[in-house]
Amino acid sequence: MLKRHRNFFHYALDCLKKYKTRTFVVLIAFTIAISMLSSILFLKDGLEREAELSVSLAPDITVSYLQGGRVLLLPSSYIDKASEIKGVVRALPRIWGYDGKGLNTYTVRGLDLSGVEVDYGFSNLVKKGRFLVPEDAGTGSIVIGELLAGVLKVDVGDTMILLSESIEANRFTVVGIFSSETTIYTADLIVMPIDDARKFFKIPEGYVTDMIIYTDPEVPVDNVAAELSTMPNARVLTKDILLRGYKAAYGGRGGFLVTFWVILLSAVALVCFSQATIVGRESMFEVGLLKTFGFTTLDIIEIRLIESLILGVFSASLGMVIGIVYDIWFKAGIFAQSLLGWAFLPAEFHMPVYVSFPSVFSLYAVTVLPLLFATTVPAWLNAITDPELAMRRAAA
Amino acid sequence: MIETMNLTKIYNPGTPREVVAARDVNIRIDDGTITILRGPSGSGKTTVLSMIGLILTPSSGRILIDGENVTRYSDYWKALYRRMNVGFIFQHINLLPGYTAMENVLIPLLCLDEDVLNYKNKALELFKRLKITERVGNLVQQLSGGEQQRVALVRALVRDPKIILADEPTVFVDEETARIVFEMFGELRDQGKTVVVSTHDPRLIKIADRVYTMEKGTVVREQEA
Repeated sequence: MLKRHRNFFHYALDCLKKYKTRTFVVLIAFTIAISMLSSILFLKDGLEREAELSVSLAPDITVSYLQGGRVLLLPSSYIDKASEIKGVVRALPRIWGYDGKGLNTYTVRGLDLSGVEVDYGFSNLVKKGRFLVPEDAGTGSIVIGELLAGVLKVDVGDTMILLSESIEANRFTVVGIFSSETTIYTADLIVMPIDDARKFFKIPEGYVTDMIIYTDPEVPVDNVAAELSTMPNARVLTKDILLRGYKAAYGGRGGFLVTFWVILLSAVALVCFSQATIVGRESMFEVGLLKTFGFTTLDIIEIRLIESLILGVFSASLGMVIGIVYDIWFKAGIFAQSLLGWAFLPAEFHMPVYVSFPSVFSLYAVTVLPLLFATTVPAWLNAITDPELAMRRAAA
Repeated sequence: MIETMNLTKIYNPGTPREVVAARDVNIRIDDGTITILRGPSGSGKTTVLSMIGLILTPSSGRILIDGENVTRYSDYWKALYRRMNVGFIFQHINLLPGYTAMENVLIPLLCLDEDVLNYKNKALELFKRLKITERVGNLVQQLSGGEQQRVALVRALVRDPKIILADEPTVFVDEETARIVFEMFGELRDQGKTVVVSTHDPRLIKIADRVYTMEKGTVVREQEA
């Protein structure tokens, strides 16, 4: 039996060579469509993975202060109250915000370093230098993202001046640089002691931006969150809620683009179908003749299936490679802004690309299945016709 | 033995383009004989030949092979029957363009569970006998009509089928090749093969065991040698 299938495989290859125009048109059309679709999917997967990594570093719960639906500064007294809730291991104040213009846009995060045994998960992310220690309080020490360090051209040990919103010059010393593993999370990040951040943003004493909560692993986070929600004006976000938010943002934007490209892919499938029809007369004759020689309908369909599989798998693979190259070397050009939406992207920014099995599987499926349909259905219709009639019609 | 009983084929039935290509055709083809279907163009010879070869389903009537009515057998069964037993030579030659002469001979063998290259020597022998050896590597569209007809002959015979159905096999070939074709058909009969030929060629009629003359889709005369 194997020799017969091998014979069909060789014949299918010959057919691809023989119908050069159809093969070329289908190959180009699918490769272009798949390269764009794979660019979006791999980028979306990368962003979602980044979000997961970022959230894994986040505290169990974040509490901010809401008034009239707007986020305001949180009174420091909330921290003491939160510490008393069952299941709360540690409640820490945090001051953060955005600053800068153009290429110097960055996120400043001020952390409470007293009792830094809770290191906020940052120490593992430091690529060069070190993370902050309690002794850094008031010294102007900072740890910055690798991307920002590149943009500002600073290294460990360098001093830099940042202008605050009130246009005051603040001098800082870089003691560490984060790795680029979690690009989006740390790319534009500056971490400093909380008092330095308070001074930088001019946040009054007795207030912080929000507080972060670390919980007892034996107490369900949702129970602790529910308890914290009873505090007046408290907006409570757990890790899960944050992750869902990120995924909804990237997934939604990605979904829009994917829909667009899937529609385009359908158009490509129609092109393939019309190509199959263009060569239909010749193909009809060929099918009739093969059946005369004793090929069964299943044999004919098998040959066309092999043809479609070779063409589909090849164009999908090529398209995916181009998609990855486009994402990595060309930074996803037109798709990056659409997917990130809010982000300012300096030239040095490397888009997070992740090739996941479900995406690869989907890409092969959306290529091969329409192609199988577009080529095997006409072949099947010819194959179930009397061979003599098929040849006669083809000759007519 | 192949027999047909009231075999009828109507194209486009019930439409203004209805054509009765064959009506109530009754013929008998014994094993190891040469049977000729003769008659003017449009008399239904090709249609009957196609129905006997099971590549065209009759509108009515029966085809018996060794006494078994195979008319309504499945498409799959008919394909396997053709694969194992029948070699076709078509009036319009029907070679696959874009392939060489040798490839055209080997393509029908792809559906066998064998290495097709095993048949290459046999094909070369036949090519040699038909004096076309030097053209085996040429694309068929580069061959003359006579050469294409010879390639079609090789294609039909390379598998050594039990039944050879030939539709005007000498119409495009020269005198010498026609003589070789007659010889080959005679040899095939001597080997116990069954040859059914649709032809106008009186020389072939001379070597036939039985001749059916057709007119307007019906058999009007039957002659035995």
